[in-house]
Amino acid sequence: MSLLPAPLTAVRPAFLTRVTPVSRLTAGTIWLAACLVTLDPIVPLRLAMAAIVALVLWSGLPLRRIPARLWPIGLAVLSITAFSILLAGANSDPAARELFRAGPLRVTAEAVSAGLAVGLRLIVIALTTLLVFGPSDPTRLADSLAQQWRVPDRFAYGSLASLRMAPLMAVDWATIGAARRLRGIAPRGPVAWLRDFAGRLLVILVSAIRRAERVALAMDARGFDCGLERSHFREVRVGWRDWLAIAAAAAVAAGALAVGR
Amino acid sequence: MTEGGAPSLEARDFSWTYAGASRPALDGLSFSLEPGRLLLVLGPSGSGKSTLARAIAGLVPHLLPGEWRGSLRVGSLQVAETPARLLGERVGLVFQDPDSQIVMGRVDDEVAFGLENRGWARPEMAARVPAALAQAGLVGFESRATATLSGGEKQRLAVAGVLAPAPSLLVLDEPTANLDPPGMHSVFDVLAALAAERRRTIVLIEHRLEAALPLADDVLLLDDRGRQLAFGRADSVDRRAVARLRESGAWVPRAWRSGPVRRRAARSDSHTVGTAAPSLLEADSATVRYPADESGTHPALDRVSVTLRAGERVALVGPNGAGKSSLLLAMAGLLRPNDGQVRLRALPRDGERPEPMRDPSRLAARQLAERIGLAFQDPELGFVASTAGDEVAAGSVAAGVPASPGDTATVLSRFGLAEHAGDDPFRLSQGEQRRLSLAAMALRPPGILLLDEPTFGLDRRGTEAVLEMLNEMRAAGQSQVLATHDPRLLPACDRVVALDRGRVVFDARPDEFLASPPFTPPEPWRDGAAP
Repeated sequence: MSLLPAPLTAVRPAFLTRVTPVSRLTAGTIWLAACLVTLDPIVPLRLAMAAIVALVLWSGLPLRRIPARLWPIGLAVLSITAFSILLAGANSDPAARELFRAGPLRVTAEAVSAGLAVGLRLIVIALTTLLVFGPSDPTRLADSLAQQWRVPDRFAYGSLASLRMAPLMAVDWATIGAARRLRGIAPRGPVAWLRDFAGRLLVILVSAIRRAERVALAMDARGFDCGLERSHFREVRVGWRDWLAIAAAAAVAAGALAVGR
Repeated sequence: MTEGGAPSLEARDFSWTYAGASRPALDGLSFSLEPGRLLLVLGPSGSGKSTLARAIAGLVPHLLPGEWRGSLRVGSLQVAETPARLLGERVGLVFQDPDSQIVMGRVDDEVAFGLENRGWARPEMAARVPAALAQAGLVGFESRATATLSGGEKQRLAVAGVLAPAPSLLVLDEPTANLDPPGMHSVFDVLAALAAERRRTIVLIEHRLEAALPLADDVLLLDDRGRQLAFGRADSVDRRAVARLRESGAWVPRAWRSGPVRRRAARSDSHTVGTAAPSLLEADSATVRYPADESGTHPALDRVSVTLRAGERVALVGPNGAGKSSLLLAMAGLLRPNDGQVRLRALPRDGERPEPMRDPSRLAARQLAERIGLAFQDPELGFVASTAGDEVAAGSVAAGVPASPGDTATVLSRFGLAEHAGDDPFRLSQGEQRRLSLAAMALRPPGILLLDEPTFGLDRRGTEAVLEMLNEMRAAGQSQVLATHDPRLLPACDRVVALDRGRVVFDARPDEFLASPPFTPPEPWRDGAAP
């Protein structure tokens, strides 16, 4: 049953697919830090534009599929932005420049600026996440974490195994809902709904634990974390591209912060 | 082989009791398996087959707690006294569920996983990975994403992964249980090639006996309490042991059965459905397309037309991805066809006129539950209550007409669950869970019952118990659809509908299907069923 769309990963080699995941993570962290140190919308706007350029030119991701996958996030960003503008404290500040007024509703330029800053930051976070995790599959990230940052194998590859379970759990969740509907169970009212939801959570928890036990047993049977020093089939090599990616990310972040100030 | 003549696997009065269990899982096994031979282990549910596999690989006693008695040796190593790490170099273990034993995202990384864990050098791994893939019939699969493999390919990948460190003993615990007939066939092809090499000893636990028995050199027969009934060469098994194996509830290969075969429940109790019986469900040219993310090859359902009549039992067969699950979901109104339609109605009461046909996807949950039920492959996902008794009553509570405790107790005892009324459904055995999932629909039986792999993981006794219950409900006019990979169920059905690539490619009697299955190659599709 293919109820889930295929994961969004690179479909062709590109600059960022040749950069190690840990370096991409470093570069992405620089951008997010730059986003967080200012309150105006200009810095995140510049970074968002840079992220789109990087996505198109260097990510190797299937561009046509991105809008279909990101629209729920886009919708969330839009509503968060709208609420941030409408509910901003600046709207009740008499000194703030009024843009328009409708009855008790007053919207000021300061509120719009602050709201856009929030929305654009969320967009930068979403695009940066895509640039960091999209260009290679999670196995590479685990390899990179274990070899470059010496993250313990049990954590790196254990997380990888549990990540692989996510789509299976999504199918389980859909099945649980379907099974309940077919038993005629249709909770009415918030209390009944909450109880039903708690019941579903319990079932998926039991199923997830059983599955995790099976995976752990299979990994142990293959000698995982058996006390021997683990070797690595796929060597993660840090090259000039890694330094270039980090330097470029830092330069763009610095430029976005400094220009016009 | 490395021990030169010494047995590869030897048990002497070996017993194992899991911590907290009231009786041993394995009780007094004594056998000796020579290197290079293939041992087939047969036994009903609860006979400790999986426990034996875990013991050989050292997971018992090193990872799972319990009480160990007697001796179990892999080559010269005493399992109980050897660290799991050393044992792991000798023994490779393949499990049943393809999705719970693959860790990595890419095929070659997956094969290398066991080598990395043991610290192999990179050049040796680079040489070993393609060789192991070739042994499992996966040449050229190196860069494929593991998530895109079929079930059969995943299981062969699991075989490649455990073969990579070149173990002298390969243990497979029901490796084909989750597979469709073509996947099963491909795994058996690989096993046959490995067995023919005679370079490693193989222990095979398998319930597809018609395919497994021809590969076996030796057999080990266990009863339902983990006691050894027999050990010996596959071609000269003690008749009395076979009889006792059968009595204990296990499947027995056809070659071992003597005299006229009794097939009590596995035949459609001389039940005939006239064309006069009212139709309960009609799929009319139903087409289902999933969001075209996966380079849309063919629709999940492609103009499927099927009719179900009252009192009719239909088997739904086909390879994985053929659309069986989609058809079940569409019939149950959980998936609306993009084109065409599915319509159903309640089973008319005696003397009443049938109600008009209705779109199941537009019915409220309560109305839907009266008309159609679906038993999912994993019964656990459908449980809604904290005791078996409440589970049986839940449907009638939801319908607003709570059943009396007496009615609930009657249903529980009819389904052989009387002593489990107060038990947590999640703590029941696989067979008990399956029966409970059916019992949960027995108080207000829906007119149509859909079942996804209803005998998955069940032995002969469990399968017969399920069929008996289905017969009882069908006698009241219920129409049943069994989506199954097990050809042994087909003779118990009135009709077989076969799907391939979303289309109906066959719709006729089971004997016609078994005589010439509409798939190539046809053999896997009739394996184990009497032609």
